[in-house]
Amino acid sequence: MKRIVILLALLAAACELPPRNTATTTALRTADTTLTGAVEEYVMVTTAVTMPMYVNHDQATFRRWGEKRGVRVSILGPADWDVPAQISTIEEVIGTRPSGLLINGTDPALGPVIDKAVAAGIPTVVYDSDIPNSRRHAFLGTDWYQIGKMQGEEMVRLLNGRGKIAYMGILGLTNMEAGFQGLLDVVKKHPGIEVVGKFDDKANVEEATRITSDLLAAHPDLAGLCGFDSNSGPGIALAVQEAGKAGKVKITTVDWEPEHLQLVKAGVIQMLAGQKRELFTWYGAQFLYDMVHQTNRLSGNDARAGLTNVPATVNTGLIRITRENVDEFLNTAPAQ
Amino acid sequence: MRTLLNDRVYSLALTIGLIGLVAALVFPQTFPTFGNLSQVLLNLSIDTIVAVGMMILLISGVFDLSVGSVVAFSGGIAAYVMSTLGWPVAAGVLAGLLSAGLVGLVNGYLIAYQGINPMIQTLAMMGIVRGGALLVSGAVGTRVLPYWFNAISQSKLLGVQMPVWYMLLTVGVFAFLANRTVFFRRYYYIGGNERAADLSGIRVRRMKLWSFVLTSLLAGVAGLLLASRLGTALPTAGRGLELRVITAVILGGASLAGGHGRILGALLGALFMGLVSNVMILSRVTGYWQEIILGLILITVVWADLALRKQTHRLHPRRMLS
Repeated sequence: MKRIVILLALLAAACELPPRNTATTTALRTADTTLTGAVEEYVMVTTAVTMPMYVNHDQATFRRWGEKRGVRVSILGPADWDVPAQISTIEEVIGTRPSGLLINGTDPALGPVIDKAVAAGIPTVVYDSDIPNSRRHAFLGTDWYQIGKMQGEEMVRLLNGRGKIAYMGILGLTNMEAGFQGLLDVVKKHPGIEVVGKFDDKANVEEATRITSDLLAAHPDLAGLCGFDSNSGPGIALAVQEAGKAGKVKITTVDWEPEHLQLVKAGVIQMLAGQKRELFTWYGAQFLYDMVHQTNRLSGNDARAGLTNVPATVNTGLIRITRENVDEFLNTAPAQ
Repeated sequence: MRTLLNDRVYSLALTIGLIGLVAALVFPQTFPTFGNLSQVLLNLSIDTIVAVGMMILLISGVFDLSVGSVVAFSGGIAAYVMSTLGWPVAAGVLAGLLSAGLVGLVNGYLIAYQGINPMIQTLAMMGIVRGGALLVSGAVGTRVLPYWFNAISQSKLLGVQMPVWYMLLTVGVFAFLANRTVFFRRYYYIGGNERAADLSGIRVRRMKLWSFVLTSLLAGVAGLLLASRLGTALPTAGRGLELRVITAVILGGASLAGGHGRILGALLGALFMGLVSNVMILSRVTGYWQEIILGLILITVVWADLALRKQTHRLHPRRMLS
């Protein structure tokens, strides 16, 4: 027993505690570009790597950027929405010392691992949603609160300030919760609008359809629905069409995949709050490249001066797509 | 040699060794480093702790689909108690474990004493507990956790982060218990022939109840360790973990029919998956292929094992019977 106690005491003494200073600062460190690998390689790490919206916009653009620049690009991450697995992937990638890391900011839990990448001297850019509790070098993306606000304002306009509405998305995701808040902040100023519920469609078309069908049965006077993930819109639209209420129940949602655009054209969805996702990864990758190559040197030695030679935060803005301008998007050929 | 290969623990250990050797030759700069290998172990530690419980369940012929949700729930409850109620770390940890144990108790009681099908019961519980995790974390997760709670997973011993040591301790303790105690040996009898086990005087229902409680408790421990490692309680944590863990346990030698498996197999199954995943990341294989490759590996390993057993059965029928 005595031996065990001594052994445990020794082990406890050998333990190395984590540092007390949590990464709450937004101060940036400048990349040490001397640490980049022999082969110039930029790595994107996301979660839900197979999600069509990510594949068609973020990843296609990132690959195209790599081809234009003549550098190697790699895309990694779990197939499902799994933030801990994304963190694990980033941790394993850091050890391979890529030239730059482009990280989809899916959750503030990424903060410590982003700091680890920065501490390892890897230029690190976050896109889509910011991770403000990290030391990332730059962020490019959409303000999700504004997405919710845009949907709220459109819904108030479509319903003339009166009627029951519901909204859905993936509950628990920081960016979507910010979007929900944006919507609620707008509608609470209009007492004629009644919010009947917030629902988790799990980014699944079938689930969004089921929730909408149930809502339409429970509230025959439901006037509007707002969607916050890529599959919300098609799911809501399907249930509304099946109930024979297309055009009567107003729908606003996010993203502008071909099926969303067709539904706007058909008058089933009234407005899309689109993100400029192509800009996230094109300029995100370019920022990394500019850091590695010191394209715009701002001082004799930016690293020693504590400078980052790219913008710290870029809001790429939103696209408002309605029946009036939808043809412009339907006719858009993919960028070459 | 054939007998050794027939034991999944040895054949898997050999395969892991081969993968490690090839990876070290192909990626000499990045794979065989202390940093990379300790990272691999850290990344599989949470799954392995849950896999130990799942192995015991599968030995007795059942499985639990709610473990991934319990991982999120226990972390969420602990975070709520510590951050929102302001109670000490010990109270948060205890609350997290109690909540996990309660889930296991409900699962075990309804399955063992009320006869609900384990798949249906744990599938339903998966949704209920995930909803509970979302409710308790206020949908956005509890962001600021106390320093000493984070220190549970973020501390290091001999340069290796603590969850790796907790994983090794869990595997060691349960491997010892499964080999040396009558209580755990009974699960093999239950999995082999539940009716015969019942007739021989084993309290099958009570044993089943405890196996679900134990599995949930281990998932609760894993949830606390994950929240502590991330410094936040994510309501989305553990999504898909149940299938990863079942895959690891099957790879490690368990059978869905019950009666087979060793605790060490759970560790090796998870280690195998962790190594394959690491090699794919080093090779820059995208997520699409990772899923396909892991699925193919699972089928290949089980098929090869079956073929080897059939051949041994043909050559040494008595050995198979024993």
